Order: sequence, then C-alpha cells, then structure tokens
Amino acid sequence: MRSRVDDAKIPEPRFWSNWSSWKEADAQKSLGRDPLFLFPKDKLVEEGSNVTICYMSRNQQDNISCYLEGQQIHGEQLDSNVSAFKLNKVSFIRKTGTNIFCKVDQKDVIKGIVLFVSKVLEEPKDFSCETQDFKTLTCTWDPGTDTSLPKRSSQSYTLFESFSGKKILCEHKNSCNWQVDSDSQEMYNFTLVAENALGNRSVSVLFSLTHRVHPKTPYNLFLKNVSGTKATVTWKVHPIGNYSTLLCQLDLLGEGNVIQQHNVSIKENGEYLLSELEPDTEYMARVRCADANHFWKWSGSISQKFITAEAAPSEALDVWRNVKSVSGRPTVTLFWKPLSKLHANGKILSYNVTVENLDRLSGLEVHSVPATANGTELTLDQDSYQIHVTALNSAGPSPASVIVVSGDPGNEEVEEERVNGTEDGFSVSWKPQSGKAIGYVVEWCDHPQDLPCDLQWKNLSSNTTSTVISSGAFRPGVRYNFRIYEISTERMAYLLEKKAGYLKELAPSDNPQVVVSNLTSHSFTLSWKDYSTDSQPGFIQGYYVYLRSKAEKECHPGFKKATLPDKSACCQHRIDNPEQKTFVMENLQPESVYEFLVTPYTSAGSGPLDAFTKVTTPDEYSHILIRIILPMIVCVLLIMITCYLKSQWMKEKCYPDIPDPYKSNVLSLIKSKENPHLTIMNVSDCVPDAIEVIHKPEGSKIQFLGASKSLTETEFTKPAYLYLLPAEKNYSGPGPCICFENLTYNEAAADSGSCGHFPVTPEALPGQPGPLTSPENLLKALEKNYMNSLGETAAGEASLNYVSQLASQMSGDKDSLPANPPEPVLCSEYKMQMAIPLGLASPPPAENSGLSSTTPLDQSEHYR
Amino acid sequence: MLPAAGEPAAGDSWGMLACLCTVLWHLPAVPALNRTGDPGPGPSIQKTYDLTRYLEHQLRSLAGTYLNYLGPPFNEPDFNPPRLGAETLPRATVNLDVWRSLNDKLRLTQNYEAYSHLLCYLRGLNRQAATAELRRSLAHFCTSLQGLLGSIAGVMAALGYPLPQPLPGTEPTWAPGPAHSDFLQKMDDFWLLKELQTWLWRSAKDFNRLKKKMQTPAAAVTLHLEAHGF
Repeated sequence: MRSRVDDAKIPEPRFWSNWSSWKEADAQKSLGRDPLFLFPKDKLVEEGSNVTICYMSRNQQDNISCYLEGQQIHGEQLDSNVSAFKLNKVSFIRKTGTNIFCKVDQKDVIKGIVLFVSKVLEEPKDFSCETQDFKTLTCTWDPGTDTSLPKRSSQSYTLFESFSGKKILCEHKNSCNWQVDSDSQEMYNFTLVAENALGNRSVSVLFSLTHRVHPKTPYNLFLKNVSGTKATVTWKVHPIGNYSTLLCQLDLLGEGNVIQQHNVSIKENGEYLLSELEPDTEYMARVRCADANHFWKWSGSISQKFITAEAAPSEALDVWRNVKSVSGRPTVTLFWKPLSKLHANGKILSYNVTVENLDRLSGLEVHSVPATANGTELTLDQDSYQIHVTALNSAGPSPASVIVVSGDPGNEEVEEERVNGTEDGFSVSWKPQSGKAIGYVVEWCDHPQDLPCDLQWKNLSSNTTSTVISSGAFRPGVRYNFRIYEISTERMAYLLEKKAGYLKELAPSDNPQVVVSNLTSHSFTLSWKDYSTDSQPGFIQGYYVYLRSKAEKECHPGFKKATLPDKSACCQHRIDNPEQKTFVMENLQPESVYEFLVTPYTSAGSGPLDAFTKVTTPDEYSHILIRIILPMIVCVLLIMITCYLKSQWMKEKCYPDIPDPYKSNVLSLIKSKENPHLTIMNVSDCVPDAIEVIHKPEGSKIQFLGASKSLTETEFTKPAYLYLLPAEKNYSGPGPCICFENLTYNEAAADSGSCGHFPVTPEALPGQPGPLTSPENLLKALEKNYMNSLGETAAGEASLNYVSQLASQMSGDKDSLPANPPEPVLCSEYKMQMAIPLGLASPPPAENSGLSSTTPLDQSEHYR
Repeated sequence: MLPAAGEPAAGDSWGMLACLCTVLWHLPAVPALNRTGDPGPGPSIQKTYDLTRYLEHQLRSLAGTYLNYLGPPFNEPDFNPPRLGAETLPRATVNLDVWRSLNDKLRLTQNYEAYSHLLCYLRGLNRQAATAELRRSLAHFCTSLQGLLGSIAGVMAALGYPLPQPLPGTEPTWAPGPAHSDFLQKMDDFWLLKELQTWLWRSAKDFNRLKKKMQTPAAAVTLHLEAHGF
C-alpha cells in the first residue's frame, strides 16, 4: 500500500509515498461458514481496466463452475481452494453491471458478484469564462460522457481560482457561475476539476477579466424618418462597467443578403443614418455589439424590418405600337413593358397616355389606363400624332416615353427575306437606310399561330445593324416573322426589312388537298391551289408527285423510281417551284387505275407518304361517243318538242282528218303542168262496187275488250255518223251514194254502223227493219249491237268492215253534221283509206259502257 | 384489450386503469357489495379474479424487461437460484392439502398480507431502477397491484372478514443493508418477481375456488397448483 496527495490546491508534481510492508491473510479464515467465496465484491472499475477475480472453496472436492454474463469461464487454479480469472480490458455492458457467479455443482450453493464498469471520465472540453456585466463570470465547458451508475453518482465538477484561492462546487455539469467580488482582481486562473469515484480530470484557463467581455444583446432597435432612400436606426445596449465602450455592427440586409455594414462605437445609445436605399424596398437592420477595446465575442443580434417610402418611377416605359386599319380608321395599339421593381420605385397605380395631334392644333387627349393593363388601343385619323406614355405611382409620374404614329402605315411593300434560326435564337441584321435613325426596333410574335400573338419587340441603338433575337417561347417548326423598324428623329417608326425564319425547319406534317380535274383516258390534272406555303413547319421548297400503277412498271418521262417506306415501288416527280400548285399527269393508259400522292418538302424532308388517291382513266372512245350521241339526243329532243308544239299545223299540213282535194298541192301541180282541164271527181260519180268482208276471230275481240277504255269517259258528244242508204238489189247505175264521215272503222263500229251491209240480227234490231235514218236510231242500234257483241258474238261470225273514206264537199266541218240525211251526191273519189287494227284503233269498251262505237275516240286521241 | 405493461405514454390505458383501481378501492364502501345486499360477494370475487389474470399478463411483460435489465443469468429461462436473501418474501407455494384446508377467511387474509408485502418491495424496486422507462412500467404495475389489494379488501369486507392489521415492527421494508451485495440484491429482485408471479397464479386459483363456492357451496373443487419457471 502507498499513498499520494490528490488535491488541486497542491501544485504538481505530487509524489507517491513508499509502499507499506506486506501482510498475510488466511483465505480459509475469511470464508467464515460459507462454502464458497468470490472476490472482489461488487467492484467498480473504469472501462478498459484489467480485473482479476478469484474464488475460494471450502471443500476441495466440490466441483465449481463460474459464469461471466451467463457464459462459463475457466480460471487459473492458484491453490487447491483458490482459483483466479483474469478479465482484460473490461467493457461497459450495462449500468446494472456485469454479473459473474460461481456455483457448486450438485449443491444449492451460488455466489456471485457484480462488476460495475464505468465509462472513462473525460477531460472537460471547450472550457472558457466570460462576463456580461463585470459582476458574474460564467464558465462553460463540454462535460463529455456521463459516467454515472446505479447507486453511484456521476462525475462532479469543481471550479478553483488559484489567485484568490477560492473553490466552488458547480451545480451543473456544463457551467458554473463565479461571482466577481470587486474591481480589484483583473487576472483569473481557473482550474476545473471533473471527479468521480475512480478518478479526476482537470483543465485550467488564465485570462484577464476585461478581455472576456461578452455584451448582452442590444435592445430597443427602431427605425425613424424612413424616406425613399434614407432611414435612421436607433438602438440601446446594456452598459458594461463605467468606462467601457462598445463597438456595434449595423448590418443592412436586403433579400437575405448584407448590403451595407457599418461599425458604430457607443456607450449606451446607438444611432446611424442609413442612406443609398432603394425606394419601396424591404430591408432589415441588424445590430450586434462587442467590447470595443478587447474584442472577445459578439453579443446576440437584434433585428428590425422596414420598407422604404415610394419614389417616382425612375425610368421611362418601353413603349411600342401596332398600327392597323379598323373600318377605314387607323387604330393604334400601344404596348408597354411593365417597369421593373428597381425602376418602378413603388406600386404603379395607373398609366397616363397623352395624345397630341401634330398636324392640327387641337387639345391634348389624355387617357388613363389601369395599372393591370400593359397596353391600350387608340382610334385616330390620318393625321400624325405624338403619344406620351407615363407610369404613375403614389410619388409621381415616370419620365415620358414618346412615340409618333401616323395614319399612313408607310411602305409596307418590303420584300421578305429569310433568316436562319440557331439554338441561341435568330440572328437578324439589316441595312440602315436614312442614316438619321435614332434607333431600331425589331418586332416579332412569340406565338404567331395564336391570337393575340404575344407581340414582342426589342429596342436597339442607332449604331446597331444586327442583333440576336432569342426567346424561351421559340419552338421548332414555327415560322417567326421579324419586322425591323427604323426610328426616325421624329420618333416615327418606318418599316425597314421583313425577315422570316424557323428556329429549326421540320418536315411538313400534312399533305395538300389535291383536286383531280380534266380526267381523260390518257391524262388528268392535279391541283392544290388552296395549299398555303406560309403556315408550314418549314420553307416549302417544292413538291413530290408520286404515281404508281399496277399496269405500268416503267416510270413516265420526268418521273424516277422511288421506294416508299413500306418497300413498295413507285414513280416520283419533283416540282422545285413551291408556287406551282398544278401538275398534269400525262401518257396514261386508258381504263387503268393510278394512285398518286402529292407531298411538299422542306429542307427537313417531305410530308407523310401514306394516303395515295386512286384515279381510274376512262376508255378511249367514250368521250367520242359522248360527243356524237349527246348532240343527237339533243336534236331529237328538239324535233320532238317542235313537233309537239306544232302538231296541229303539222297535222293539217301533213295528214289532215279529211284531206281537201282542192287544197292539194299535187293537184295544182298536175293542173298547171299536165292537164289544165283536170277536175276533181265528185262523190256522186262514184258507185261502190265492192264490200270487203273481214273474218274476225273471237279471240282478237276478247283481247280488244280487255284493253279498251271506258267509253263513258270518252268524249262522245259529237259522234261520227254514217249515213247509209239501202243498197237495192237492182241498183246498178249512178245515183245517190253513201257519205262517210268516219276516218277509220273498228270492228265494233263496223259491226253496228256499216253502211247497210252489216248483218243485223233480228234480236238486235227487232223493230227496226229499215235503214237507220237518224242519229238517234243509229246510236240505239250501235248500243244494242255493242251489248250483243259483248255477250253474244259468236266465233266465226262474219264482220263487215268498211275501209273507205269519202270526203264530202259539205263536210268540211265534221262537227256540224246535218240533222237530216243529206241528199245523195255524186261520189268523186276515195282517198286515204286505212284499216286500223282493232287493238290499237280504239280502246275497248268498259264493262259498264253502253256504247260500242269508237269513231270519236280516234278524233279524241288524235287531238289529245 | 389490455395494454402491455411498460408501454410508454399509454395515456388511455393509464386512465382506464386508474379508474378501475379507484373503483376497486372503493368497493368495500359500495353498499351493494355488503352482505346485506342482494348480489352478495359474487361480482366482486369475479372482478378480483379478473384482475389477478390481468396482472398476471402485465407482470409477464414487466418481468421480461426487468430481468433483461439485470442481465444474465437472471434473464435466462432455466435460471433457478436458491432463495438466499429472499426469506422475508411471503411464499406462495404451499402444500396442496394445506391449501385445500384453508377456509375463506384465512385464504383471503393470506392473499391480502402477501400482496401488501409484495407491493412494498416492488415500490423499493421502482425507486432503485436506473431507467425512466423501467420506472414507469414499475409504477404502472404498482398501481395495478394496489388495485388488487383494494379488491381483495373489498371481498373480505363483503364476506364480513376484518382486514389483517400489521403487527408493529413487522412492517416490511426494502432497504438493502451494507452487507447485502449487489449480486444478492439482484437475486432478491429476481425472487420478488418470481414470487409475485406465483402469488398471482395462486390468487387466480383462490378466487376461482371462492367464486365457485359462492355459486355452489357444496361443490368440490380440486386445485392443481403448478409452479412454472420464468
């Protein structure tokens, strides 16, 4: 055993005493009555220590097994009754300690110990002391690992000051307050001792009190007299002693960044005038202080936000115009870009647009435009106007932006040039014209396909002749039109050049709508005049005409073979002129199917090759036939119409009902040329000498009946009358003859109305033995005869058919028939006899018809 | 569903348990549980039985946590040390014939006395525990055990038995003496939990027997008391 002083008051080095003399102890005696003894009892060691554990047993025959944390351990037998276990570098397992126990086998004996392993006590880190008021010194440190165990307290901390010899036990594990007695002590030498059951660690610091001043956070930070560009900051600090001066740092922050930094030395009250501020801007003033003489640490910061007052906008608006004619009156649309926050100097309340007529003396016209608008529209006349645009906020108006517009749009006929787009934008250049330009403006639309097209412009100085127009809105395949204006000294814009270009040309996405015309057997014409070349995703350089036919394997002249994406072959013809929008397909085969496709092409490629259109050529002669047949049909139709319209005249001329021999041209010719004494024979001169009897089979009568019309519907008010004279048996000389009024006879009429020669059955005419001498009688006879013919006409019955026609001198008008039978006159001649087939000459009588004579039918049909 | 013992921040189960304990504590004062009342002691015996089963479940979780805290070999399932320093703990194990021969009053009195002692030891355990979580679990269990004690007192009152008065000087204390080593202290803690577990088994049997006896006084009940290792 040996000893050593362990006290912070005693300066190093501290020496150990000499070892005491050895003393023997009897282990068996120390056992007492217990059969087993385990040593050391509940030992506390630091982590990483080496520990030796031994046990003593009373009985050597006992079989003893020992366990460390449940795992059997085997030790070194020192004696017949004593064994030892060496544990090297024990580690911390749990706060309740490491359990070691031994037991005697076959006996209910168990002995154990708990080895408490503590974490290593660390030296306090970051030990420092400071004062805020010269009254209290506050020392702080980082204690490190906690070494506390159950029933064993954690490490404690003691603060010792060597100059004063004072020592205090710290209440907290990481800080300690030391009371400064008076101003007498300037230097301090502190030793901080951390101590637990296993040992201690200490750390020292030597300092002057005035060098460890950490001021308290300033307070009462205010801003006064805040204008657009200036503001006064005031604040207060807690006084430190009587003579101390504080250095305060004043930061001005805008949007989180330090814009200005000022150092101010103060005693108690601080004040500073901040200048060069931006109007209508939010700032933050921040103040912290430190000891001006011996800087140790900055105090905590205090900050205050403030917003500067508004000022009149500092810059004129960027104004541009667009002149168009609405209902014949020039309409000027003014556009302007909103002022940036830097130039607006406050919230824009409205825009003032002042219009001044330069050609005539008239008052100024002032328009107020709301702040939300970025433009306005003015309707003017053909005069020139000077327009002033200003932006207003609460502090006043901005400088005026002046632009002159005229009702005359100027020279718009400027040839458009092409401009190439790159990844950076469009490189636009122009040639100055007048040399008096005060600037240039390039105008374009960000979205030319939309309405409004989002007009954009770029102002350029007078010495600039090129610029790069870039916009995030530019897209490939969209045609952008740029107009370059020259701004004259009168501030009037004149169109200088037009440019059009694509950021990147694309292949056409659609093919034109092609119309097929002039289709012949050998050719047809394609046209796509409605196709607009301006609204395509690239400059149209021309067109490809594709033709394919199953009939023809070879391509026509001007075509070359091409392979389509689907590997099929076709013929391709290229049209290099984008304005040529027609194409004649020639040398084709008649009656063949051709498929064609017209697709435009740009520098990026051609349009889709998918939808071919089929055309079938007609045969070779069809057009000839049409040329002949069509006129013929027209001629025939014309003749027929003429005939129809002039039918009465034609009839009288060509085939009158009763030809007038005296009117016959033939007769006059004969008379004049051959025999001037030739006369016309009278009817009375004619003696009928023969009657033709036609045998009519019954079948034809039935057929006739079936096809007849109802005679009741037929005009029968003026029937034709046959005036018959009885033919005497002995009559042989000339005498009164028969006068025929009828043109034609049909069977029915012949049956009933023939000139006295018709067979009259007794039943049909019972009370009429004589000839029919009156129309009434005739009608009756006809009626009855017809009724008989319907029901009783027997097969093989003979019919009598007169086929002669006589023209009476008195019967020029067939409608004015005499009531009485005319006197017999001489027959002169027969003319134009004809027999009409029964089925055609007259319609058959209807079943309810009471009449059988169809003579008038002929007339009626004729005039119909 | 009852919450697992030692579950932190189980506010609802805490509240429910406090309510339950309060009710059980005041059971003796409830007129309906007095012998003069119609329902008799049956319902309170049933409730006491239910509470023992619940505490049994709760202790299983708590014992696992605490024995792990002590470390091996105490948390090993087959560790069965001799009762060296735990002689003062009330023994739950008893001869079966003796147990059968116990009358209701004696049976209830032994239960009451055992839990009174065990609760006292358990509170000492709680004071010593190093971790906050373990202290919360132990405090929770102590509250529950306090409720069981009140419940037994209620049954005894219902049956007209007086509560046993602690003899002066025999007040159980949990104060490890200077000669008491840390290992022995751990052994005591082990035995305290084990004995508590056994008592809860026995009480369940006791109250089950009592319950049946109240329903059919003549019915014979056999008890097969088993002692399971932890």
